[in-house]
Amino acid sequence: MHAAPAPDEVIRTRGLVRSFAMGSATVHALRGVDLVIRRGEYVAIMGPSGSGKSTLMNLIGCLDTPTAGEYWLEGQPIASLGEAELARIRNREIGFVFQTFNLLPRASALRNVELPLVYAQMPPAERRRRATEALQKVGLGDRLDHRPNELSGGQRQRVSIARALVTNPALLLADEPTGNLDSKTSHEIMLLFEALHREGHTIVVVTHERDIAEHAERVVTIRDGAIASDERQPRPVRP
Amino acid sequence: MRIVEAGKLALESIWANRLRSFLTLLGVIIGIAAIVATAAVIHGLNRYVAEKLSNLGKGVFVVQRFGIITNRQEFLDAARRNKRLLPADARAIAERVPGAEIVGWEVHATADLERGEHVIRDTDIGGVTPAILEIEPYEVAEGRLLLQHEEDHAAAVAFLGHEVAQRLFPNVDPIGKELRIGGARLTVVGTAAQKGSFLGFSQDNYVKIPFSLHQKLYGTLGSVNISVKAREPARLEETIDEVRAVVRARHHLRPGAPDDFGILTAEGINDLWRNLTQTIFRVALFVVGISLVVGGIVIMNIMLVAVVERTREIGVRKAVGASQRDIVQQFLVEAVLLSCLGGAIGIAIAYAAATLLAANTPLPAEFPPWAPPVAFAVCTAIGVFFGIHPARRAAHLDPIEALRSE
Ligand SMILES: Nc1ncnc2c1ncn2[C@@H]1O[C@H](COP(=O)(O)OP(=O)(O)O)[C@@H](O)[C@H]1O
Ligand SMILES: [Mg+2]
Repeated sequence: MHAAPAPDEVIRTRGLVRSFAMGSATVHALRGVDLVIRRGEYVAIMGPSGSGKSTLMNLIGCLDTPTAGEYWLEGQPIASLGEAELARIRNREIGFVFQTFNLLPRASALRNVELPLVYAQMPPAERRRRATEALQKVGLGDRLDHRPNELSGGQRQRVSIARALVTNPALLLADEPTGNLDSKTSHEIMLLFEALHREGHTIVVVTHERDIAEHAERVVTIRDGAIASDERQPRPVRP
Repeated sequence: MRIVEAGKLALESIWANRLRSFLTLLGVIIGIAAIVATAAVIHGLNRYVAEKLSNLGKGVFVVQRFGIITNRQEFLDAARRNKRLLPADARAIAERVPGAEIVGWEVHATADLERGEHVIRDTDIGGVTPAILEIEPYEVAEGRLLLQHEEDHAAAVAFLGHEVAQRLFPNVDPIGKELRIGGARLTVVGTAAQKGSFLGFSQDNYVKIPFSLHQKLYGTLGSVNISVKAREPARLEETIDEVRAVVRARHHLRPGAPDDFGILTAEGINDLWRNLTQTIFRVALFVVGISLVVGGIVIMNIMLVAVVERTREIGVRKAVGASQRDIVQQFLVEAVLLSCLGGAIGIAIAYAAATLLAANTPLPAEFPPWAPPVAFAVCTAIGVFFGIHPARRAAHLDPIEALRSE
């Protein structure tokens, strides 16, 4: 087939297509995306609403399967994997941060963060330790037992970032992580991503706000389901 | 996910919806409670009957005009065909069956007893040969049993059951005192030890008098019940066959014609009893089975509702790495725990019911030790059977759609 992806490539897609059948019509959400993201990169994906950003993120996050095209994660072709293996990849290789947080409302912050470790078969004591560490890292070491409805929006998003980090994944994906936050809180969250990037995490953030994207070192713009531009920024600006 | 985690999760979710869970479980609770309570009553009765029958001496059987009749046609046939059994039949058995160690016979009548102002109505008056009192062990409380010479001379003597003695002779030693049966005056020679009651019926409400006296008082038209004690209990079957042959010969029955008399053994009665209770149990099981199926369907329904309510949660779990197997396990464990919880409540209710019944009614209900494991096995099966469909539905949810749902 093709040359094997280089070892430092976390993501490689080739001609990624995703179409949805809507009754008799077909919606082409992605029309052939070629994208390579290397280890340690911090990439912002921009584009207007409906351009296919979330669809791309869901494919990269192994929550969805492409209509056509190929995708290698950490050099591994995803198409060949079964349901259980995909679940394992979502568990170990990917940390997903959502716009709407997607925390379990009845569980404490600690238990929400423990959740991926539960599916990683980690024993409870170890799980607790790792989840506590992750929460401390996002600055919520004193909120372990709070439920989501006892936390502010920014704190909830921190919990969900801790949950994404707790398995120490190869890739951190965030789909409009600041979409539900005010600008001050958004800024704090973006500083957190920046800090994680400096620690060496590979991060992909979807946003449609220019100033959010400016935190990243590379900006990929999508329009109508295809990549319109792919630019490196000299240095993230620090206001 | 580990099964223990799934169990904890399921308990939390059941507890979070405790009222709904309880209502959901009513079908299973009622079904399990009903069947276990029925089993307790039958189990108690079986043991009780077996114990009472074992009181009937070892190797003893009874020949009587009518055997055990289980349907109307048998009753009509027997009423038409069966001849009276006579003392002569009993004597023939005693003479011709070497395996019969003791042969006695008894005939029954019902009469009122009187002593001064003390009256007992409708008491069983047994006319017995002395051998009867040996064969069916009658334990003497005071005085003695009836004697052969009293039989030979139709002596006016009586041996009283415990309850009769208590009621006719309160605070008086009855031995040597007189009582009246109809016009006759009889002298009490002995009283029996208490036998207790059987299913609430007193077994101590009787008077035994010599057979010869009974015939004088009530005539010779009654059919006698012949009790036989086999010399070797191990050869009971052969002895029964020999006795049957003697009676058949005396009744001039052709080979192949059915017996026109009945033979009762403890095992025979026990078998019949067990047959009866098994039939009752099967009917109960069928009725309860319906209730359990309904209970299972209700559980399935509530689990389907839970899948809809928790769609977003399922999406979150899948997004962070739950496989379909994890989700199936989670919902299946919840359905099984739910159903077993119903079973546990049902067992507790049945246990309480059996204890109350045994304490407050003549029914000797006894909680069967196999009930809890069997009930839990059944409830597990119900949980799996009715839980698998909702669990699979949850597992096959598309994670993106699930996350988008509200
Ligand atoms: N499940 C779906 N069914 C049908 N159409 C969809 C589905 N998901 C996304 N689309 C369509 O695909 C296009 C891209 O959507 P999306 O990736 O969510 O855009 P973005 O995240 O950039 O706003 C949109 O036109 C949207 O309506
Ligand atoms: Mg989107």
